[in-house]
Parts: sequence; C-alpha cells; structure tokens
Amino acid sequence: MKDFWAIYRRNKGSIIGLVILVVVLIVALAGPLLMPGDPWEIKARPLLPPSTTFLMGTDVLGRDVLAGVVHGAQVSLLIGLVSTLVAVTLGLLLGAFAGYFGGPVDDIVVRITEFVQTIPSFILAMVLVAVLGPSIGSIVISIAVVTWPPVCRLVRAEFMSLVQREFVEAAVVSGQRTANIIFREILPNALSPIIVMASLMVATAILTESALSFMGLGDPNRISWGYMIGAARSALRQAWWISVFPGAAIFLTVLAINLVGEGLNDALNPRLARRGRV
Amino acid sequence: MSGGLNTARFLGGWLLKSAAVLLAVMTLNFFLLRLAPGDPAVVMAGEAGASDAQFLEQIRKDYGLDRPLPEQLLNYVTNVAKGNLGYSYRNRRPVADMILERLPATMLLTVSAFVLALLLGTALGVLAAAREGRWQDGAITVVALAFYAMPLFWVGLLMILFFSAYLGWFPAFGMASFTVSGNAFARALDTTWHLVLPAFTLGLFYVATYARLARASILEVKHQDFVRTARAKGLPPGRILRAHMLRNALLPVITFAGIQAGQLVGGAVVVETVFAWPGIGRLAFEGLLQRDYNLLMGVFLLSAMMVMVINLMTDLLYRVADPRVRAGA
Amino acid sequence: MNETLVIDIRNLSVALPPGADRPFAIEDVSFALLPQEVLCIVGESGSGKSLTSQAIMGLLPGPEVHIASGSIHFEGRDLATLEDREMQALRGARIAMIFQEPMTALNPVMRVGDQITEMFRFHGRAHEAADRVVELLGAVGLPDPASIKDAYPFRLSGGQRQRVMIAMALALDPAVLIADEPTTALDVMTQKQILALIKDLQRERHTSCLFITHDFGVVAEIADRVGVMQSGKLVEIGPAREILEQPQHPYTRRLIAAVPRLEPPDRAPLSDRKTIVEVKGVDKTYASRGGWLKRRPVHAVKDASFSVRSGETLAIVGQSGSGKSTLARCMVRLVDADAGSMTLAGAEGDLLRMSKSRFHRHRPLVQMVFQDPYASLNPRHRVGDIIAKGMLAQGHPRDAAAARVKSLLELVQLDASAAERFPHEFSGGQRQRIGIARALALEPKLLVADEPVSALDVSIQAQVLELLAEIQQRLDLAVLFITHDLRVAAQIADTVAVMHQGEIVEHGPARRIFLEPQHEYTRALIAAIPGRAWLAPSDRIARQEATS
Repeated sequence: MKDFWAIYRRNKGSIIGLVILVVVLIVALAGPLLMPGDPWEIKARPLLPPSTTFLMGTDVLGRDVLAGVVHGAQVSLLIGLVSTLVAVTLGLLLGAFAGYFGGPVDDIVVRITEFVQTIPSFILAMVLVAVLGPSIGSIVISIAVVTWPPVCRLVRAEFMSLVQREFVEAAVVSGQRTANIIFREILPNALSPIIVMASLMVATAILTESALSFMGLGDPNRISWGYMIGAARSALRQAWWISVFPGAAIFLTVLAINLVGEGLNDALNPRLARRGRV
Repeated sequence: MSGGLNTARFLGGWLLKSAAVLLAVMTLNFFLLRLAPGDPAVVMAGEAGASDAQFLEQIRKDYGLDRPLPEQLLNYVTNVAKGNLGYSYRNRRPVADMILERLPATMLLTVSAFVLALLLGTALGVLAAAREGRWQDGAITVVALAFYAMPLFWVGLLMILFFSAYLGWFPAFGMASFTVSGNAFARALDTTWHLVLPAFTLGLFYVATYARLARASILEVKHQDFVRTARAKGLPPGRILRAHMLRNALLPVITFAGIQAGQLVGGAVVVETVFAWPGIGRLAFEGLLQRDYNLLMGVFLLSAMMVMVINLMTDLLYRVADPRVRAGA
Repeated sequence: MNETLVIDIRNLSVALPPGADRPFAIEDVSFALLPQEVLCIVGESGSGKSLTSQAIMGLLPGPEVHIASGSIHFEGRDLATLEDREMQALRGARIAMIFQEPMTALNPVMRVGDQITEMFRFHGRAHEAADRVVELLGAVGLPDPASIKDAYPFRLSGGQRQRVMIAMALALDPAVLIADEPTTALDVMTQKQILALIKDLQRERHTSCLFITHDFGVVAEIADRVGVMQSGKLVEIGPAREILEQPQHPYTRRLIAAVPRLEPPDRAPLSDRKTIVEVKGVDKTYASRGGWLKRRPVHAVKDASFSVRSGETLAIVGQSGSGKSTLARCMVRLVDADAGSMTLAGAEGDLLRMSKSRFHRHRPLVQMVFQDPYASLNPRHRVGDIIAKGMLAQGHPRDAAAARVKSLLELVQLDASAAERFPHEFSGGQRQRIGIARALALEPKLLVADEPVSALDVSIQAQVLELLAEIQQRLDLAVLFITHDLRVAAQIADTVAVMHQGEIVEHGPARRIFLEPQHEYTRALIAAIPGRAWLAPSDRIARQEATS
C-alpha cells in the first residue's frame, strides 16, 4: 500500500486529477444540500450574464445555471459509476470464461464482442434509450450494453496469457478445482489492468451520458449537464455561459478521472509505466 | 506467389463478415422494435402516423404483425434486404430514399474526420516521441489529454463560438451556402469551407487518441531487439526512426483506428446535430424528435455498413504495411 | 598503446543507477583483444559480460548506465570519449555485433536483402551493395541466396536468421565481431553449425572475435583465449587450454567443477528395484486451431513406451519440437493423450484413461517440477500457501498441512521463515527449491521434472541437481527428468531415452547411450555438443575430431 501511494504521488497530473475529482465528489454529494432549491425553478430574467448574484448566469428560461451545474453533478457521476460497474462485471465474466476455457466458448464470445464493437455503439445506445423510454435506468443499461467489449477483450487477453503460465499449470497438477483456479490464482494477477480500464471507462460513460442528454434522451426528471447544453443551443451566440459552464464541468470531471486513471496505471503496473505512457 | 489468392480470400472474408454483421443488425432492429412498450404497429408508425388508422392497418399487413414471430422476422429481413426500410409518415417518403439522399454527406464528413485524425494524430504522436521529454512532447501530451476529455458536442459549440461567431472564419451551419454559383469547382470549395469545423470537431477527439497511442507505440518499439540491431549497424537515428521504428510502431495504431470506427460513425450523429450537417446523423436526430423508429433503425443499419467500409480501408492499409498478414502467415 | 592490440581496454568501469544492487556493473576491468583471435568472456547472469560488449559499442542502456572511468582504445582512438555521431560511423563498419535472440533481431517488415543493403548505403559504400549482398548470403551458408534476398524474416528459421545477422555483421569487413550469446537460443545442432560458421569466417577474414557466453562447452569449442567475469570484475584471463585444464582463481574452479561432464558416472544397478511406473503407447496429435488456414496437424508424440523403477532417474532427452514436453504433460494429465496407458504401483486402473474426477484422487501419485522459476510460483501468494495448496485441495486439515510445509522447507534446505514470504523475495535457485517442495508435498511416487534447471546459472544448477539426487535417494523416488541438455542428462540419469520428432529413437542405460550410441540421431546429437573433447576426455573419438 505504501509503495502504491509513493509511486502515485510522483505524477503531478495524477495528484491534480485526484484533487479535482474530490472537489467534484463533494459538489455532487453536498452541493444539493448546500444549495437548496430546485434547479428547475425560474429564479430571474432569462439570459442574464454571470454576475455576483448568479455566478454562472441564467439560462433561456431564467433558471440558475450554477444550480443546474451543482445538481447535475449527481446524475453524471451516478450514471458513470453504475453503468461502468455493470459493464465491468459483464465483461469480466465473459472474458474470464472465454480466456480460460477457450474452444467454442471463446469463439462465441469473440464473435459477440467483435459485433458489438463493430456497430456504431452510440447510435445503438440512442436507439435503446429511445425504445425503452429515457430514464436513469435505461441510460445505465444502454451505456453498459455498448461499453463492455473492451473490458471483455482485456480480461480475455489476460486470462489467455495467464492460463499458460506455469503457476496455473502447477495449480492444476496439485489438484485444485477450476473455480478456485479462476478466482484465486488467475484473477488477482489480472486485476491491475482491469482496475485502470474501469476507471477510464467511468470517464467514457460520463461523456456518453452527456451526449445522450444533449440529444434529448436524458431522464426528464433530473437535470444533467448535457441537457443544459442541449437546451441552450438556440441562444448560443447571445449567451455563451449556458453552454460553456456545464461543458467545463464535464470536461474537468472527465479530465480528472483520466489523470487519476493514469496515476493508477503508473502505480499498479510499474514496469509498463516506465516505458511509454499512453 | 500466393499473394493474389490471399487477397481474394481476404476480400471474400470481408464480404461474408459484412453480410453477417448487417444481418445481425437487422435482427437486432427487429427485436428492438418489439422492445418498445405498446403496439408494434403504433411504434413503427411513429408519432405522426399513429393517428392515421388506415396507415396502421397498412403496416399491420406489410409486416404481418399477426403472424408468429419467426415468420415476422423473416418477413422483416427480406423486406430490408430488398431495400424497403419502411415509410416515414411525417415526411411522406420511404425511409430508404431519405437515408440514401443524405448518406454521401455523412460519408464525406466521417471519412474526412477519419483521415484527418489518423494523419494529424500519428504525426503529432511521432513528433512527441521523437522529442521525448522536451517541451513539444509535454505540450502535445497536455493538449491531447485535454481534447480527450471534452465532450464532442461541446467542442463543436466552442468551435462555432470562436471560429464562427467571434472570428467569422468559417460558417456554423449546413453544407452549402445559398449564394454559391453553379460552377462545380466553386461548389466544391464552398463545401470544403463548410466541412472544416465539423470535420475538425469530429476528428479532434481521435487526433488525441491516436497521438497518444502512436507516441506510446513508438516508445515501446524503441526497446525492441530489431531497433537495437539497427543501432548496432551504425545507422543514423533518422533512418532508424523512419525505416525501422515507424512502420512497426504504426501497426497497432491502424488496428486501433479500425476498432474505433464504430465510435467515429456514432460521433458523427452528434456533430451533424450541432452543425446542422445534412447527413444521416442529423436524420437520426430528427427521427428521435419525431419518435420515428423506422428512420432510426434505418440509420443504424446504414451506419453499420459505413463502419464495415471504414474497416475494409483500415484492414487493407494494415495488409499493405505488414507483409506477414499479406502472406497469410 | 600497443600497436598490435585490436582493442585495448584499461580500467573500465560502468556505473549503475543509484538503488541497484551494486554501484558498478563493471569495475576496473582491463583486457585486450588480439588480432585474429577468438576471445571468450564467460560468466553467469549478472556478471557484467554483456554490458562490457555494450560499453565497447556505445550501446549502454540509457543515461544512468554509463562509463564512469577507464578507456577503450581502438584504431588509435578512445571509444569511451567519442560522441555518438562518431561511434555511429564505427558501428557496423569497424566493430560489428550480433545478439542472442535471432527471432526478434530483424525488422519484421523489411526484406532481408534490404536490411543488408542499408549497411552499405549508410556507411558510404552504396555502390558495392548490389554485388555483395547475394555473395554474403551465400557465404553464411543460406540456401538459394538470390531468393532469400527478397524474403521477409518471418519465412526464416532461427538458425537462418542468425546467419543473416552474421552476414550483416561481416558485410563491411569489420576489424572486430562482438557476439553476445549468439547460439544460446538455438538448438544444439544448429548451434554447432553456427559456431563452426563463425569460426570459419573469422579465420578467413582475419577478424577478431569477442564472444560472450555462459557455456564453458562453447568456450572449449571455439576460444583461443578466455576471460572469466564475476560480479563485474574480471577474475581470470588466459589461453583457453590453460584455463580449462588448470583454472587458478577459486571462482573459475568452482564454475568449471559445476559444468556437468559428458561421462556418466558409475551408478548402482537397478535390476533389483521395483517398477513403479509403466507407460505404453502414448500418442498425441495436436489438431490445427480452426480458421481459414490449413495448418497441418502436429503429431507431437508417437507411440511412446517406457518404465521407471523406484529410485531410478529416467532422462528424456530431445531438442525443441521433439515432443518431450508434451509427453511430460501427458504424464500429469495437463494434456490428454489420444492413446496409451499408464499404470502406477499402488493405483488401480489406467491413469491416462480414467475420468478426470477419478484421477483427482490419484493426482498425488504423479507430481511435476516446472522449468521457469519466475513463472511457476504465483506472485500473489505466500510461499507457505503455495506449497500447502495441493494438500488442502486433497482434503488435508490446515494444521497438518502447515506442519508438513515446515518439514518440506527443511528438506529443500530453506529456512522455515520462507513460508511467510512472497516469491519475488527469492532467487531463481531458491524458487526452484520451493517448486520442488511443492511437488513433494503430496508424497508422489513419480516426480516429473520438466527442464527444472534449464533457466538457472551453472553453479546454481549444480546445487539443485545435487538436491534432487539427495531427495531421490532419501525417498526412493522415481524421477522422469526432461531436458534438452545432454550434459545434464549424463550427470544425473540412470537411463536415457532420446526423442526425435515425437518418437523415442533410443533407450538404454546412460553409460551405454553416451559411450556407445547406436541410433544415428543420438550420434549426431552427441557429436553436436560443443566442447566434447574437454567434457569427455576419455572419449577418444571426440578428441580426434577436435584436433583435426
């Protein structure tokens, strides 16, 4: 644990990312309590530029942009985390079985993975949300459905290489059961890249969610950053602040997660990190 | 040489694969339509058509909605294969016509963005790797990180704000100006002028991705045995980079670009919406607003086809670059 | 500076980055390379021998590993002081180098001929390229040089690629050829050919050769002089004959004593021992993995039969591709044989045919020791758990298992505290001991050892082999010892079976196999061992061959 933190600390970017992320988390969790009131409520005249009363101005209907940004954090983070969790679980199970058992199981999984990665995933997500009706649940499901393939490929690749390692063969020879081998011998050695990928997937999930909301497919009961930007398109030239601030919020959050992910990569995979960082 | 036979086999394989993918998408569409709550006929008629009882009856007949499911599926797939993607009540036109009309615009946008991303991204990545540790490397890495974190639609809006509204260099909407003359060259120039902002918007995310991947790949290749051999041969560093490192390092980038093709085409939907670019992506957005599912499904199918075409391009490029693949080794 | 020395190295020290296990990779090393000689630098891993050659070429890895002091005189200049640009002109043209791993040493996307041509192009001799490339490819013994010129590396075998490397190295007639373990990754017959090739070319072209190796047999085969390195210092240097016959320095003596000889010692007769394992007709064919490509199926093991008695060591000897590893894996059912039977004293039924679930109970009878000490222990588990896992899987209670772990660690001469530590805290030799302890945990009747010492330095190798011999004696164990190294087999085997392309071509007592081989493959294999005359002094034929 100590070594992990020492290496993580070395990367300035990762520390900045962590700080920003913590701020975002605090805003998401505590914001709505500190700034009570409905972000949907019309507070003043529309299209007011940023001022001391309204730090981020008001939108086309006169709603407080800052309130929207603060409350919107919850939706983005929630959807980002949950959909990643579902996608990673799905990808992990499929990839582990494909990588360990090989043969026909592997063939089927590979075909399915290739198919999902070939089709334009965002359009599929759009179609799914449209068909199921926009809600937090349907958004989580559609994002999970289109983002599990990279995890599956990674887990499969890791398992395929680990299965041939001699310590796995030794486990077989000494009589250990298959489930034991998969979960206690192989999986702990495959975890590091999976953790890194999962953290980066949260970022992608947030981007996808904001794009869906922008297109009008967000949960109509919750305000989200993408929705705010989408609703402001008609007033883009007169009121840049409605588009810029929520977008900046998305940008900072995603950037922070990416930086943290890189830091995790350096700390968990020290040998690879020294060569060339992606 | 078995090269010709291998190429034939490769193309045949691609055709088969494309057919399989498209068939799977059609099947998926079929089940997605059934997934929507309510009467399938109402779903397929769209918001506008649902009020027309005659139209609903027609749909029920055409798609055999009272038949058993497997028969419906067969019916649906044969319809689509014949080119019948449904009828858009709102627009009073067959969906297939609407899509085919707008397809070229999307292809123009997508391919431009793809080529731009690949060329610019790789160039930047190579530069960053060649100047590892120096300011160019840092700058490129930071900028790449930034663009990698920005939502596509936000980048588009910022581009409009800055390059169009503020600087006035490029138009913000559409593919053509009303005032352009009939001359084909002038029209092409005009289109290109309109293409710049959308193509850059769509491409920049991938420029960032490919730049980082290219950089990492080159740094990785630097440690490979054959590069050590090249140094031991006393070759100048420029030669080693160009002839030995680059081609090997760029192979994974090409592969990755192929895998990302689906995302790129999906991104086109968002960019077309922001820039009112008259392509199938914008059509999908309109379909969303109108709850016209046939239109949506049609766009989904055709964009899957576009992805297959882009994949063919990347696979061919990879074959040219890697002799091992050409020989079927 | 002495004009007749090709390279004159004085007090060379190469520093390592802070935090390494010692401050200098090479410390105060001085030696010279004489004209037209082959000088072997020999040493174990970590001795600094490779870094010495890299220092001469100016190819040290990264800024933190650099020449701290000393000089390297060559053709009137001190290489240690030259800029990289100037070194670049010398590399390939005056001093050339070939490396250990031929499979990855060539650019995979460039034609072989082009890779040689670029040497001429970039050293200002482009006009010569056209004629010389084909000539060079022929000179290194490649068949049909005109078409090989246009081939890509993936079409060539390891031995062929190494020949291309040699062709590239000698293209510009350098004064010095540095060879860093060039034959270590090749099988023994190819090794013999490459060694002969290097020796011939070197003599023909009057090139001096600095040959790095860890194998004393290779030294005996080609060296004029030899230098021995230990932990960064040059401990002894002199004519090869002298060093091999009468080493002075204690380290050199230890190393040479550890090299297994080709003469099997007298062993106790086994006729009164009970037969523990009887294997008949094992056959295994690997089907090609689906897809478009029609790869021919590989018939890995063809009708293999043998038996092992208690206390006997049967060595299965063969090169890569001979099927010996597959056979070993069939014994422990990591791979399921297509045909054949295995019966073990004390177990009912055919162990190869019975269902996996029935076999589970019999697993303790046949256990395995693996080759790679760095891959055969799960890095995330403690050593004690690793050893105990098999017992727990068989249902033994935890405390009984823990107690047995303690006694096993003692048996393999490791401290009991090792049980709490992780594999990365141990050296290669120690990890192999842990692997042996794990294999013995279930009290097997047959121990299958798959190349257990191939990845170890020669001095560690001797220790582990000694340990195995001791354990075998104490426990009356039957051992199936897989190896590609005939010298190791000669040292430890009672019986030897030689495998070639899936078949056991010869099978008999070790002494007979080595002193009177019958099958022509066995004869060719033994003839290919480098340094035979030195390793088997009583083998008159070998001695005659060496002096001819």
